[in-house]
Formats: sequence, C-alpha cells, structure tokens
Amino acid sequence: MADTKVEQMSVKVVEDPSLMTGAIPAKDWMDVPAVFKPGNYCYPGKPSIMEYHNKNLPGLFGESREWEIEDDDWKLPENWKEIIINGIKERLDKFRSFKIFMDCCVRCGACADKCHFFLGTGDPKNMPVLRAELLRSVYRGELTKAGKILGRIANGREMTIDVLKEWFMYFYQCTECRRCSVFCPYGIDTAEVTMMGRELLHLVGVNTNWIMEPAANSNRTGNHLGLQPHTFKENAEYLIDDIEEVTGLRLESLNFNRKGAEVLFVIPSADVFADPGIFTFMGYCMLFDHIGLDYTISTYSSEGGNFGLFTSNQLMKKLNGKMFAEAKRLGVKWILGGECGHMWRVIHQYMDTMNGPADFLQVPTSPITGTRFDNAASTKMVHISEFTADLIHHGKLNLDPSRNDHRVVTFHDSCNPARAMGLLDEPRYVLNNVCNNFHDMPENTIREQTFCCGSGTGLNTGEIMDLRMMGGLPRANAVKYVREKHGVNTLACVCAIDRATLLALMEYWNPDVEVCGVSELVGNALIMEGEKEKDQGLRFEELAVKEGDTDV
Amino acid sequence: MKTIVYGEMKITTDDDGFLENIEDWNEKVACALAESEGVEELTADKIDILKFMRDYYKKYNFFPILRAVCKNAHQPGNCMTEKFIDPVQAWKIAGLPNPGDEVQMFRSWEPLGF
Repeated sequence: MADTKVEQMSVKVVEDPSLMTGAIPAKDWMDVPAVFKPGNYCYPGKPSIMEYHNKNLPGLFGESREWEIEDDDWKLPENWKEIIINGIKERLDKFRSFKIFMDCCVRCGACADKCHFFLGTGDPKNMPVLRAELLRSVYRGELTKAGKILGRIANGREMTIDVLKEWFMYFYQCTECRRCSVFCPYGIDTAEVTMMGRELLHLVGVNTNWIMEPAANSNRTGNHLGLQPHTFKENAEYLIDDIEEVTGLRLESLNFNRKGAEVLFVIPSADVFADPGIFTFMGYCMLFDHIGLDYTISTYSSEGGNFGLFTSNQLMKKLNGKMFAEAKRLGVKWILGGECGHMWRVIHQYMDTMNGPADFLQVPTSPITGTRFDNAASTKMVHISEFTADLIHHGKLNLDPSRNDHRVVTFHDSCNPARAMGLLDEPRYVLNNVCNNFHDMPENTIREQTFCCGSGTGLNTGEIMDLRMMGGLPRANAVKYVREKHGVNTLACVCAIDRATLLALMEYWNPDVEVCGVSELVGNALIMEGEKEKDQGLRFEELAVKEGDTDV
Repeated sequence: MKTIVYGEMKITTDDDGFLENIEDWNEKVACALAESEGVEELTADKIDILKFMRDYYKKYNFFPILRAVCKNAHQPGNCMTEKFIDPVQAWKIAGLPNPGDEVQMFRSWEPLGF
C-alpha cells in the first residue's frame, strides 16, 4: 500500500504549498531540476528484458545495462544527445500530428487544471501544457531558427542531461488518458506528445521495467502475464468449474483456436488470472453460451492490451499484428473484443493503417440480431459492450436485474474506450438493464470528461504508490460523492488495468467500494436455461434477500 | 544472492528471498523460508497449499488463480490471505522462483498491503 496514510495524504493535497493551492513558484520552471527519490519514479528495465527486446526489434531501445534512476550517471551512450535530436527530426518528418503539436500550442491554459496528476500533485510540470513544453522547448531551442538565436527569450532551450531526466519524470507521470485534449481549443493530443517523449527516451535506453517486461511477455507468449497456451486454457476452464458451482450448469461452449468459428474473441489476459477480471470472464462465457454464439478464443492472440502503445510505434504494431494474423489463420468473419481499455485506442485509432486493411474479414454483423456494425467497418472489431447492448435492445437476453440488487452501481468510463472510441452510452444501457440501482458520478467526471484511474500507461507499479493515489484522487473523490449520496458500493468499468488499479484506489480512498467489470453484472443477471436456483453471485457472494422472501 | 541459515542448514535465495533452485525444496526448507518471512508454524493445511502451488507451477509455469488454490487444497475461498497474509509470501515459502513484476501488479490482493 501507499507509504503515506490516507489522512495525511488528504491534508497534503489540500494544504501543502503548490500551484494547485495557490502558491507561486519562486523560480522559472526551466531552472527547477527533476529530483528523484524513492516513490517518485518507476524502476528501469532489467538488462535481460532489454536484451530480449533488442534482439526482436533492434535499434529502438538503446543498450541494455544495469543502471539506477537515482544515480547521476545513467550510463547513456556517448552520442545520446545526437540520437535524441535526430530522433526528434525523424519523428517530425514521419508524424504530421507531432509536427503540428510542436508548433500550434498558444499556451492558453485551458488544459492546465484538467489533468488528474496536476490536481493530485499540484506540480506545475504536470499541467499538460507544461508537460508538452518540456519537449517543445527543446524542439524550439535545437531545431528552429528563432530558438537557436534567441534561446530562452523564444522559449527554447538546449537538450541536456537534466532535461532528459525531467522528461523521464514527467512523461511517466502522464497516463495518456487524453482528458486534457477534450478541453484544448486546438485539439492537441497530449498523449501523442507523451508517446513521442517516451519513444525518444527509449532510443537512448531509458525505460521502465513494469512496461518492458509485460511487453516482452506479450511478444513471447502472446500475453502480458506470460501465460503459456496450456496455462491460459487451464485457467479459463477452471472458471467454467466455478460457473457450474454458481449456476449448476456445465458450459460446453468454451473452446480455443478453433478454425472456422464465426467470431474470434480477444480479451485482456488478466481476465483469466486475477480478481475481479476472472468474474468478468465468467460473465462473457455465460453470455456466449446463453445466445449460442459461434466463437473461439486464441491462445496465440491471448492479449488485447498492448504495452507497445506506452513504448514505441513499432512495438505497438508488432504486438497488435497478432489479432489480424490469428483471425486470418482461423478463418473467422470478424473479431469481438473484451473489456480492455487501451486496446481500444490502438484498435480504433491506429490498427487500420498500422496492421490493415483487414480485407479478409467482413464488416461485423451480429449473428443473433442481424445488426451490422458499420462503425467497425475498417477494423472489423466490435466491443463487448456494443455487442451486449445490441442483444438487450433486441430482447435477446433473458435477464433478472434483481440478482444484482446487492449492488448499488456507478460506472467509471475507462479513458480509452470513452475518449478514443466514443463508447459512452452502451455500457450504461447494459448496466441499466442488468441492475436496478445505477447512479452516475457528477457530469464533469464521466463520459468524455472521465477522470483516469491514475495508474494507466504502465504506471500501475508498486514503487510509485503514493503518486498513484494522488493521481487517482479526482476519480476517487467522484466515487465518494455517489457513495455518500446514493450508497454506491460497486464501481463498474470496462478495462483490465482499471480492474487492477481501482481496487487499490478504492481500498485507499473508499474502502467499502468493490470494483467489477460490466460483464460480471451481465453474467449475474442472466437467467440461463436449466440453471439451479441461484443464491450466490459469480464471486460466490450472497445475493440480496428478495422482498416477500422470509429469512427462515 | 542471499543465504538463510536454519539450524545446520544453509539455503540460497535470490535478493528478494526466492529459493535459488526450486528442486532444493522440502518441508524443512519450507520451515526455514517461513521463519525468514516471519510466518509462524507451518501447519498441515499450510503445507497442502504450498504443495498445490508447487504442483501447479510444475505443470503450468505460473501462479495459480487464488480461488483455485483454496478449492484444490479443500479450504475456504480466502485461505491464502488468511493463512499467509500475502500470497506471494506463500509462493516464496513454496520455493518457487521470483514471479516478476507483472504478476505482482495483477495480484488481486494488492490492496491488502505490500
């Protein structure tokens, strides 16, 4: 758990002098160096992991080596500065968006107080405008005429070791959630600035293990956890045993790597490993059985998540390529995706040009309702919430929402499904049909304005727990509001990272609120043909006593 | 690399306290590892949990789903946290190798403290 007790943390956020609490910085931001101390940085990549990446994608990740963030010497290559400057030039040519984002900010400040990390830490360099300025200032100072001549007068500066260290600190205090972008009058996507910053750091071997190890696992075994095919299958089948215990039914439909299935289903791998993701997985399986979907799960493409998004474009492309490759090999018609967050940013915004066109697939059509998902015409991938909402809309599910009466539910719009693919109404429609008690959080904290869990983009590592709890405070605060107003005890979401990080965040700020996936609540509410009388939910929890029932 | 001394026995672990060679494990080694972790007496039901974890690991190279551990060891669903506080500690006492960062992060028991 976090080092700082929750009471101290609350006082610290509200009272410690910071830009958030009205204190005025004594120095110009360029004169304040980043200071690393335990708890404010993620550990660097292990040499063995980095060697592995260098073998697979040479030239992207610098030299593998033992190094410590708190040491003065980061053991960078001698020509590190040249590598960074050339890296910037190359990316300005390659990515039009990066060039625009470097040139067009007018520093109006609309984004300044929209970042959860700024709200939680009060650190001025966590204002999205200033975070991007860390890189822009180098672009100006090293690559524009005005900056080269006028230096700081033109808001330019030279690339130095201190600047590099500052990048590392603040590009790893951004979760690429893109809440700031919603408010930017120019539509600057600050997440893409962070992505470029991290890519540049990678070129000189500056990285974090918590991102690089899962990315290596994903490349090697197909998923972040490093589950081998037989383990993935064993875990999934164990969950079928648990469904049997709850419903009295043995589901026979779960299968793997089956050629000729109509639909390939891709999930985040944590859904077959950890609470509460495993309950979400049980929900998926029950739904598919209920409607008789002709689907299969791949043990090769066994991860929806893609830590390449937090690393570099080439790695993202490589990891994501598995979905289309497997869909082609198995001969499916289209792909259904589970409750994963950043997976949907990669799919919705990069996949078509990166890995497509997927002309061997068809525009997804629900075999149960006949609905054609034209919104997924290019990627051929449909989100489980869209799919479920459509089934409910057509009356194809037999549901008893009172089976979720022990829950008073609110919904956390996971950043990427909400802001990167516009999945705002479908999960709410599903929730309103599978439970009787649903209450949204305040409007400036949900939908496209949703607050991040505070630990996305590979920041959900234990060594920065305090930082995570501060970054997640705005989200936790909104949950607290509905907990006090409506008695909310369940926070539903559609993201595996959320299902891991919100647990810690709730335990810290709102200890009596549980976290679940939307599909878990669907599974609980489904009336399955031939089921036994249900007295417990998927996590073996007791159901609410129905009105009229007597407690004898 | 660290060495744990337990009676006349010397046990080699990595820096985080995970047994260097998983084949060097027996119930006595488990007692030594438990002592260094501050876990009181290894009762028969705790040993059953450790044995299941070892069997699972040998087949699947991985940490089992927590609920599956308790079900297979014929114990209540919260047996891991109740008997070992932290399941990674149980993994360690079972003589299994360092599970790595990602597993640590998706531990459902994360809120219980580390």
